[in-house]
Amino acid sequence: MSTFLIFIAGVLFLGGIIFIKPRAKRELMWKTVLNWSLFVLWYAITWTGISFVYINASVGHVKATSTAIFLFLGISVVLAVVLARLLGFIGVKKASNAVQA
Amino acid sequence: MVEKIEQKQKLGMNRRNFLKAGMAATAMGVIGAIKAPAKVANAATSNVNYSAGAKGQWSKLHPEHNYGGASVRFAENNDQWLGTSKLVGTVKNTNEADMGFNLARRGLISDRAHRGVFNFVPKHPQGGAISATLGLVASEAAVDGKPAPEKLPIPDPEQMSQHIRDLAYFLRADEVGIGQMPSYAYYSHKVNPTKNLTYQPVEECVYPVTQRYPYVIVVMVDQHLETMLGSTGYDGVSASQSMRSYHATANIAVIIAKYIRSLGYNARANHAGNYMAVMPPLILAAGLGELTRTGDCAAHPRLGFRLKVAAVTTDLPLLPNKPIDFGMLDFCRVCGKCAAECPSKAITHDKDPIEYNGYLRWNSDMKKCTEFRVSNEEGSSCGRCMKVCPWNSKEDSWFHEAGMWIGSRGQANSKLLKSIDDMFGYGTEHIEKYKWWLEWPELYKIPASIPAPAPTAPPAH
Repeated sequence: MSTFLIFIAGVLFLGGIIFIKPRAKRELMWKTVLNWSLFVLWYAITWTGISFVYINASVGHVKATSTAIFLFLGISVVLAVVLARLLGFIGVKKASNAVQA
Repeated sequence: MVEKIEQKQKLGMNRRNFLKAGMAATAMGVIGAIKAPAKVANAATSNVNYSAGAKGQWSKLHPEHNYGGASVRFAENNDQWLGTSKLVGTVKNTNEADMGFNLARRGLISDRAHRGVFNFVPKHPQGGAISATLGLVASEAAVDGKPAPEKLPIPDPEQMSQHIRDLAYFLRADEVGIGQMPSYAYYSHKVNPTKNLTYQPVEECVYPVTQRYPYVIVVMVDQHLETMLGSTGYDGVSASQSMRSYHATANIAVIIAKYIRSLGYNARANHAGNYMAVMPPLILAAGLGELTRTGDCAAHPRLGFRLKVAAVTTDLPLLPNKPIDFGMLDFCRVCGKCAAECPSKAITHDKDPIEYNGYLRWNSDMKKCTEFRVSNEEGSSCGRCMKVCPWNSKEDSWFHEAGMWIGSRGQANSKLLKSIDDMFGYGTEHIEKYKWWLEWPELYKIPASIPAPAPTAPPAH
């Protein structure tokens, strides 16, 4: 199972790069760097959390498992929302809507 | 003429090729120099058909000692330090009759302890079965004897040390180390047999210890993580956990001692059934651990103090390890979880170690600890401190290794690790799926009175 998770993690990392590449590059260099840095940070925290939860749950550490779900996956969701906003996946009004308004 | 010139050019060497050849020759020389010591060692051991392990490696089966992620530094074993334990005066050899359980047998702790010490292990059938098996290898004939009259050829001390470590791993030791034997670790007097302490004056039960060997081999066996995760630390399996490691280390030590004597050298096994020395200083001397807040327990970087040890004292020429420092003292200074959780309140809350018998240690109340362990009526003995210690309560995983690395790097980092440990609830949980043993609470009462001495066995014919 852990080998499978590592494989999936690798595939999703590459998939994520391909997915955000068109939106990550900005005119200002620091914004491009910020996008990629946030992606790597979000990805690392998410999989750290998944690995932590998986191992603790399989051993039977109940409190560690539940705490890790809130801690790691909570941080992961927050970072994902920030990253999605920066990349323009959410929170950007469509041009047509803006005209109608 | 033209052909001759071309031939000369072909045979000649330009500057670049000359440099290349020089570099190749230098590289071959370096490789040869590196390989040479191994060849010399091989030559020395060819008569025992032993190919020498690489210089400096721990052993062939475990080339690196597994410290479990902890950041480990090396310390000294001299007249001022034994590893990270500071010697502040003369460390006196102690009398085995003054050790905790023997004080209980002599009636010097309390009436409850005096009665309870008789059955605190065998009152649980499983603990009793394991300790009875330990007894089978506890006689003087099992632990000691005369060496073979002729010495067999053996490798040099470094290779022999690797070989002895491999033998210990082969015999299923979880860890093994070799140390320079501190002479103060020997008992001044040994009790034999301990049960006589209840019925006879102490002077009639002891004899002076005069044996002195320069080296000690220490073997460790884990007390079993999953069992500890499923236990309260003071239920029916507690003594079984100790006995599991005691009987396993005893067997390993007895075999190694017998093997060494067969090679023509002196060797004596010291184990829970028959000690001639105190174990914690030997753990320190063999580079296997540091003292902890509990006072008597020495922790290994990977196993914590979830272990028991046995030792072989010997004059077999060996190369001792250096004692280690992985920040345990700093960690124990800021943690104190064992003291907070101890059911008998025996473990001190002092911030720093204090002087005790010529060295510094946390001076926990051995009598309180002994009384609780021998008179615990909720189970058999106690190992609650071992269960809750952040250093002990973990399975092997990348984040626990990371935690150990953090915890081994000073007091600020230790505080962080302790906070994380509390946040995730490690140590104080009871994981029901691992509770595999049976409980008989009706058997856990301490005896109403001290049993009469067993009749002397008739002489064998």
